[in-house]
Amino acid sequence: MAKQKNYGMVIDTRVCVGCSACVYACKSENSVPEGYCRDWVVQETNGTYPKLSMENRSERCQHCEKAPCVTYCPTGASHYAEDGTVQVNRSRCTGCKACLAACPYDARFVHPEGYVDKCSLCKHRLDQGLETACVSVCPTKSLNLVDFNEPDQEALALMNGKEVYRQKEHAGTRPSLYWISARNKPGV
Amino acid sequence: MTETATEIISTKINPNVIPHLHIWEWHIPLYLFLGGIAGGLLVITSIMIILKRKFGIGPKDEGDGCPCLAVRIGSILSPVLLGLGMLFLFLDLAHPLYVWAFYTTIQPTSPMSAGSWILIAFFPLAVLQAMLVNKKFLRERNIGIVNKLIDWTENHLTLVALINSQIGVGIGIYTGILLSFFYARPLWSSSILGMLFLVSGISSAAALMMLFAPNEEKPVYSKIDANALWIELVVVGLFVLGGITGPANNSGAMMHLIAGDYQMAGMSYMLWFWGIFVALGLVIPLVLEFLEGAGVHIRFPLIAPVLVLVGGLVLRFLIVFAGQTYHTFM
Repeated sequence: MAKQKNYGMVIDTRVCVGCSACVYACKSENSVPEGYCRDWVVQETNGTYPKLSMENRSERCQHCEKAPCVTYCPTGASHYAEDGTVQVNRSRCTGCKACLAACPYDARFVHPEGYVDKCSLCKHRLDQGLETACVSVCPTKSLNLVDFNEPDQEALALMNGKEVYRQKEHAGTRPSLYWISARNKPGV
Repeated sequence: MTETATEIISTKINPNVIPHLHIWEWHIPLYLFLGGIAGGLLVITSIMIILKRKFGIGPKDEGDGCPCLAVRIGSILSPVLLGLGMLFLFLDLAHPLYVWAFYTTIQPTSPMSAGSWILIAFFPLAVLQAMLVNKKFLRERNIGIVNKLIDWTENHLTLVALINSQIGVGIGIYTGILLSFFYARPLWSSSILGMLFLVSGISSAAALMMLFAPNEEKPVYSKIDANALWIELVVVGLFVLGGITGPANNSGAMMHLIAGDYQMAGMSYMLWFWGIFVALGLVIPLVLEFLEGAGVHIRFPLIAPVLVLVGGLVLRFLIVFAGQTYHTFM
């Protein structure tokens, strides 16, 4: 039997140029309605003038291991899939919005058709052995899909010896997205 | 020293989430208010029934086993108001046709799942109590099945009331617990919010009973209300203190509520909180009811209960809105 998957992402902000190709690939792959997004790009500038540093990062649902949206969902619509991702079962979602209130990352929205929607880590593509739409289109290889149950991967090795963080780790959600900080760039 | 700057530019665009969460609008605070009153009415009427039956305390019964007028009307209003509240809850669903999904599963970690089952558990016994305390009038109607139900259960009214007093507390406290479990919204993330909504529900219910109780019964409910009000004042104090003495998440959110200039219906949160909720909704009615209890007759006796009801409604709107206009967990 094949080993169970545990998908996540390693996002290298050193090479992200903030082109938003991931956002548009996602919109077209997942028919995200106009005026909504499942992933987005954040540009953060930090420091004291004139010594400023900037980081671009592509963000999306964190596919938490301990996801508050799953904890609070009253109908089981939000659930953990067997491949380690967090999914929404549209045919059980009442649109009560408890998961939106529970998510510390504001990653979810109410689809105009009445159910709650968010990044599915392109589960339909993962199931066919493909990469997610955003990963496949990223021109700088900033986005990397990883299976944490397969330790011998290039993407995981990418994090070795670098400053890596996860967002709002103190929320106790154990997010599955890792960011390689732009502070690893030479000269920062 | 030059300030260290952080500037964030984001392309996140989802409406109702960015720039701040406003997923729950007027339906939810209205439901929380009606649910709180329904729970409070069930608690008060049940305790009044038990006190009368077991200890002979309270206003005189109507005869034929029917309690006083306020208890009879309160017992009817409790399920009616909760039903109305659940209607607003239903209207808030983005996908109302899937409402059945609440009742084909039990999600032990979800307060909303627990709540939807408590709501269902509430109705049979609350309706039974409303029927039993009004049995004199129901018997006149002579409906076969209703007569049978009353025949089976009329000797157990005290037991029904005893269970209902517990379910009433469950409903009242649940309306606050529902919000308090969302730790991603730091204003709501307070374990005393359930207690606050429970005492507020009880004081609002006593105020409502004061409105329709005949004159000779009014002092009873005025006393219940006054007691609930000062407990509520203490709990509000603890809620505020717990917020401002907490970590940056919680103190920021509490300051957003108690000193914030963010507007609700054209007035800042700070004015709503201190002016309308605390001063008009708690302190003034408490003083009026204290004076009334001390024998100083006030010319407009309806002022205190109306203010309490307004305060209870404003509390729910404020907490639900301010919890969503403050940014998420840092």
